[in-house]
Amino acid sequence: MMKYNYLTIEQLHQKLINKEISVEELVNESKQLAKDLQEKCNVFDYMIENPEIKEVNDNLLSGIPYGVKANYSTKGILSTASSNTLKDYVPFFDATSIVNLNKANAIIAQKTAMDEFGMGGTGTTARTGIIKNPWDHTRMCAGSSAGSAASVAYGVYPYALGSDSGDSIRKPAAYCGVVGYKPTYGMISRYGLFAYASSLDHCGVFTRSVKDAAIVVDNMKGLDPKDMTTWDSSNINLYESINGDIKNKKLCYIKEICDINNYPNATDELKKHLENFHNVIDKVRKDNIIIDEISVDEKLLATVASVYNIIAFAEATSNMSNLTGIIFGPAGSGASVTEQMKDHRTKGFSPLIKRRFVIGSYVLQRENQDRYFKNAQRVRRLIVEKWKNIFKDYDAIILPVSSGPAKKFDDKSIIDGPTKILEEHLQIGNFGGFPSITIPCGFVNDLPVGLNITGNIFDDANVLNIAYAIESKMEYKNQIVKEVK
Amino acid sequence: MSKFTKEMVDSYAEKLLIGLTEEENAMVLSEFDVIDKDIDIVNTIEGIENVEVMTHALDNMQIKELREDIAGVTPDISDLLFNAKNKIGREIEVPKVVGNDEV
Amino acid sequence: MENLHVVIGLEMHCELKSNSKVFSDGRNAYSDTANINVSPVDMAFPGILPVVNKYCVEEAIKMASILHCQIPDVMIFDRKNYYYPDLPKGYQITQCSKPVGINGYLEYDSGNKIKRAIIHDIHLEEDSASLDHLNNTSIIDYNRAGVPLLEVVTEPCFNCAKDAVSFLENMIKIYQYTNISDADTKRGQVRCDVNVSLANEKGEYVTPRSETKNVNSLGNIFATINYEEKRQREAYFNHSEELVQETRRFDEDTQTTIRMRTKVDAIDYKYFIEPNIPPFKIEKEMVDKIVNDIPELPLSRKQRYLNEYKLTEEDANTLIKNKDLSDYYDECIKIGIDKQIASNWVTVNILGELNKSNISIKDFYITPNYLKQITDNILNNNISSKQAKEIFAKSILENKEPNTYIKDNTQLSDESYLRDLIVSIINNNLAQKEAYLNGKTNLFDYFVGQVMKETKGKANPVITKKLLRDLLNK
Repeated sequence: MMKYNYLTIEQLHQKLINKEISVEELVNESKQLAKDLQEKCNVFDYMIENPEIKEVNDNLLSGIPYGVKANYSTKGILSTASSNTLKDYVPFFDATSIVNLNKANAIIAQKTAMDEFGMGGTGTTARTGIIKNPWDHTRMCAGSSAGSAASVAYGVYPYALGSDSGDSIRKPAAYCGVVGYKPTYGMISRYGLFAYASSLDHCGVFTRSVKDAAIVVDNMKGLDPKDMTTWDSSNINLYESINGDIKNKKLCYIKEICDINNYPNATDELKKHLENFHNVIDKVRKDNIIIDEISVDEKLLATVASVYNIIAFAEATSNMSNLTGIIFGPAGSGASVTEQMKDHRTKGFSPLIKRRFVIGSYVLQRENQDRYFKNAQRVRRLIVEKWKNIFKDYDAIILPVSSGPAKKFDDKSIIDGPTKILEEHLQIGNFGGFPSITIPCGFVNDLPVGLNITGNIFDDANVLNIAYAIESKMEYKNQIVKEVK
Repeated sequence: MSKFTKEMVDSYAEKLLIGLTEEENAMVLSEFDVIDKDIDIVNTIEGIENVEVMTHALDNMQIKELREDIAGVTPDISDLLFNAKNKIGREIEVPKVVGNDEV
Repeated sequence: MENLHVVIGLEMHCELKSNSKVFSDGRNAYSDTANINVSPVDMAFPGILPVVNKYCVEEAIKMASILHCQIPDVMIFDRKNYYYPDLPKGYQITQCSKPVGINGYLEYDSGNKIKRAIIHDIHLEEDSASLDHLNNTSIIDYNRAGVPLLEVVTEPCFNCAKDAVSFLENMIKIYQYTNISDADTKRGQVRCDVNVSLANEKGEYVTPRSETKNVNSLGNIFATINYEEKRQREAYFNHSEELVQETRRFDEDTQTTIRMRTKVDAIDYKYFIEPNIPPFKIEKEMVDKIVNDIPELPLSRKQRYLNEYKLTEEDANTLIKNKDLSDYYDECIKIGIDKQIASNWVTVNILGELNKSNISIKDFYITPNYLKQITDNILNNNISSKQAKEIFAKSILENKEPNTYIKDNTQLSDESYLRDLIVSIINNNLAQKEAYLNGKTNLFDYFVGQVMKETKGKANPVITKKLLRDLLNK
């Protein structure tokens, strides 16, 4: 009988302070839930037998267990990024965000499985196998932070860390019916996050409420002398700035993405998803908040996915050149160093990653760089400038996530087709480093769907406050998985 | 017809120190074709060649302070070599490196 | 036969002196103990990020301005991607799209002639780990991984091996004068890639360029150029081999170069801007402050010694060999020692002494002020040059300032002082005076002896005798 898995961080903290529950009880319940979920959905990369018990103090996170995506460096704990190239790697240092959570006396409970090194949006490329959606085991969680999303949805703990280079937090959050937040680039240090695409990688968090997301990120963030791209956010307290007051705020959504008429072959799920999105918007509008429809050049939107792929694959092929099996990871076999490195890499990487490396390498070649890599970087600027212009008039952009609820594993329609932009628009949040949060906004065929709110850089407090207000209009706060099959 | 040929794919893979199966090779080509088509669209954007490339996560990102020149503490050698499989004394050991191994 | 000449371009890598590495806080120091100066960043553990060392950036800007380069408004870095076991990240962080300096030049001294080298660019980058080779294996020491390097790339502007090597010698001296680097070739702190091709009288290249990588001493660089010139000449005139653009390495045992790879197999380094290092604005005030700190450089000093001080070429060359010596000499001039005299002392006596005792001028007992004690007394004719050398030696031996000995050796000729002294001696020896006046004339010598005793032998004997005669007979 589970007693605590539906509670918010504030509620858990109160119970711990009042000694209604002990840290041990909480950790044990979390462990039990993790075992159940692992059996059903295979969401963990490494299960920690005995999490380190920590004392409860004033910090809201003290004594509360949490999940960590497998691509965070955790001292003394296996950290594989769900890749066979790191299947035995035990770091001797913590990621800065983990150091910060340690200071809060937070308890690392599990390492969650993911798409290998954060590449891929399906949760199917982890070294430990396919990660299933706890709502419906025939469906995916999306990726790459699949394990973190699934375990928070299941109530294993109130929050789990994720990383987001394209939509790796914000899409699985929608598919699993939880909140997924990536703050402005550089708010949380990336030191100790295994790099995928450095100019796109963000740390972030899954929770079951907006307020919980604020609490966790407040504890993770901060200027880090080990990460030159971090900035001083000591004047920002997300938790305290949430007041639910969004009177006179202005939001917008993009016609080219949200209008059902753009999708002549729309599935039943897509129709219901967009209908639900517009219903939510209408509901929110009643609250003295302006939500406009705006238009964006379709040409820019059409290239988002390729722009993302080119930049991400190029940076990835370079970032992952340190994976040679010499200093860490299983050693390759062969007569020469080169053969050994090649053996390590050929055996260690999944086919998806290898293909992406080859493309990333091609677009960086001297003779190809201008046409592919630099053009992609140029379009990136155009899109970011467009978004920044929108933010001059609007506090945030609100959009539906994906083209419906979680996809079935055998659904082949993911890669291309007219719904591409619906699937890929979250990547714009990474292009510009924008704060971006997904919250659950309803159900389609009993499966959760989500909407996303993205604002201008450094405007995290505003974005969270808007998300909090919209969340409060609906009844999906703190929801736990209700298995449909 | 793709600009990217099967042979090129294999040669790139070789330089990246990874082996590809025939099937993987073919998938690279089809994935690449999507990108190539999108780049054709990009090239129809007026004035695209004059847009400054965006190389960092935040546009116009700039920093004012650099690190002071202070040395930190070297981690324990047992930590540094903990994950290495082939080591001798304080060092990692690899098959003898000869001049032309740079790839 | 066609008249061909060799054309040489250099890529000179020099390790910077700093406390920590260029992109990590790993200690920048040489050690015989492997992996003792290493941060996780230097070994490229998953999740590490580079953090730029401010001091290294300042030193790079300093060198860029010495080389009269244009300095960009922002500092950015690029990745150079390739696989090699000494490169843990699989890429080197360097500068390609916006080096810290471009389009510069340096006037250098080659065989006492001033020449100008054209600088393509100078950039800041990181060194690789070092490999040591055992019987069947190699072992990797990461102490050197991430050590700051400055790479200076010249245009193909040298037309003989001697000029190329002289340029490097001048560069090494500049690195040492500015304290940017010890530039110690013996410790591998300076390494060069040497580009060689042949050109005809019209300046057209007639052979493809060969690049010999990582040559590590001036002697070897000289040998590389000469060997490559010879090899390309033979190939050109005798068709002994087909020349192609290629990368080679120098083989110390045979003093020849050996092919590594040709242009066909050239590595595409897939440079792109390092996204983990945000652009850093180079403020004009920062550059001004750095430029202000640049000491007078060796060539300028040499020209001052020659043109203003009228020293010989040989002495000037000797004086500028190292900055401390030149600083010492300049200090001598500043406190008023004659330029030629100071030069003689420094280049002959002092250098001789330093060489003999194997100490540096900074630890040398005779400071410019002490030297002045000696040289002033020579000028005043208080001491002979022979005595000066003795005093110099004694002063070093006993660690006492030269004046201690100079007082002993010089004559006391002050008449009023001697008169007072003699009066007091006589008053203390009235009995002897009586005896002298009564005819014991040999007591005159007794009085001379007393004066000498009181003055430690320094009293001028002529004056002393004259005064004694006067005063005794009074």
